[in-house]
Amino acid sequence: MKKRDIRIAILKTVILTLLALLFVSPLLWMVSSSLKPASEVFATPFHLIPETVKWSNYVTVWTDDTVSMIQAYFNTFKIVIIATFGQIVIASMAAYAFAKVDFRGKNIIFLLFLSSMMIPTQVTIIPRFMLFKTMNLYNTHWSIILPTLFGATSIFMLRQFYMGLPNDLMEAAKIDGAGHFRIFLQIMMPLTKSAMITLVVLAFIASWNEYLSPLIFLTKEKLFTVSQAIRWYLQDDLKRYELVMAASTSAILPVVILFITCQKYFVEGIATSGVKG
Amino acid sequence: MRKRKENLTGYVFVAPALIVFLVFVAFPFFFSLFLSLTEWNFLSGWGGIQWKGLENFAKLAGDQNFRQAVVNTVIYTVATVPISILIALVLAYVLNGKVYLKKTLRLAFFIPYISNMVALAAVFKFMFRDDGIINNVLLNVFHLQEVPRWLSNSELNKIPIILILIWTAVGYELIVYMAALQNVPKELYEAGKLDGATGFKQFVHITFPMISPTTFYLVVVRMIAAFKVFSAINIITLGTATRGNTSLVVEIYQDAFQSYKFGYASAEAVVLFAIILAITLFNFWGQKKWVHY
Repeated sequence: MKKRDIRIAILKTVILTLLALLFVSPLLWMVSSSLKPASEVFATPFHLIPETVKWSNYVTVWTDDTVSMIQAYFNTFKIVIIATFGQIVIASMAAYAFAKVDFRGKNIIFLLFLSSMMIPTQVTIIPRFMLFKTMNLYNTHWSIILPTLFGATSIFMLRQFYMGLPNDLMEAAKIDGAGHFRIFLQIMMPLTKSAMITLVVLAFIASWNEYLSPLIFLTKEKLFTVSQAIRWYLQDDLKRYELVMAASTSAILPVVILFITCQKYFVEGIATSGVKG
Repeated sequence: MRKRKENLTGYVFVAPALIVFLVFVAFPFFFSLFLSLTEWNFLSGWGGIQWKGLENFAKLAGDQNFRQAVVNTVIYTVATVPISILIALVLAYVLNGKVYLKKTLRLAFFIPYISNMVALAAVFKFMFRDDGIINNVLLNVFHLQEVPRWLSNSELNKIPIILILIWTAVGYELIVYMAALQNVPKELYEAGKLDGATGFKQFVHITFPMISPTTFYLVVVRMIAAFKVFSAINIITLGTATRGNTSLVVEIYQDAFQSYKFGYASAEAVVLFAIILAITLFNFWGQKKWVHY
């Protein structure tokens, strides 16, 4: 019986490994193509390992004069870091207030925030475009950052977390004369560390991969995000397919590294948001 | 006195979120509703807004392009949501059992979900070219006489788009399912075994009903995501003349930012909102009705 179990487990593993390979095969094709000369990308017969490995594709993409991956990385990291950090800080403050401060209008504001989850960003993109034009934020990174600072999901998840923290902690600090600000900063917020990391990872990935807003609000090449950089190489009349693939590989890499290092938080975040429904 | 201070503290804590919410979510939302009742070319300035009442919506009803976009969006939803969820469920069930390399395998299935959609769409665009690797396989492995022209035909064009949407959705659904499967109490399986429920029977009578809330959640979340499809289509159709594969968001984008018909595009956006609202309300109603705990 035991031996049979092991054999079944091995068989399952083999089948799943084949499926997993099929799953990542487009990505393998991408990496392989990014290291070939243009003429070889669509050549038959197909070689997964390039005949001559052409690292210079990456050099070209990373140092191009008009749209370089260095600039795109810098732009995207700037947007992602400010947006993610800002969103979590702002969400933490609001979540603490909803969970631990007793103020008038609390339920109405919370309900407003919750109902905003039903409004997809795609629906408000036209007025936001006008707003940014009139505020002179069009063609600045703030047009991407500012709306991201409000994260209904982050507020909701953090509120749940704060509600789970015992009030005794707070009462004891109050007796010692601490106000809400000190309680929040020194006692409560540090306790939500794992929830915050989870939300940071989720917000980071969403922000890194954002496409529609930058496409509309950023038209100057120097401001392009990584998504736009790939699109730019795709539109290139010179049809440098290998460069598109080098840009794509460069765009995917940071997120994969982030996922591998923070796998635990990431899986937790998705699982808790999903299983409880 | 104490109460006033408590109120004030509350407002100070909520203020940053509330301000961003009002300026970048609430105001644009209501302005969208207003714009949907007007005709406005942004280039004509604020003074160019003309009140049109429900005219835009009347026009939408007879607009071939818009109808096509709605039909396509429904096709994308129907083609991707059930298939991706089924694949994820099977994978999660097997991965949850006795398997080696669990974490590595999970990672492989998960990478497409976290990857940049523009990058993935570019890869698919190349793979599905007339001389791409897909057609190469069809020619040389399956010995097809004539290969499909995936990118220049609006109907065939939907296939790479649908495949990307399924491919990127499975990872997310897999993680949610794996967590749900771990929450099914072991005693149920023990009890089931006594009644002779093993293997497939166990899955149908114990596992599947126990994780039905998760399935319901995934259907709703993925439906909403599918209704917002944009990036994959935008990239796959970039530089091709195919128009028959637009989605609602693609249509909004084109009408607003390529034709500058802000009023008309806002009316389309309101329709998208109405659909998503309907799915969400259906979610509240259905959770009570269909989900067995």
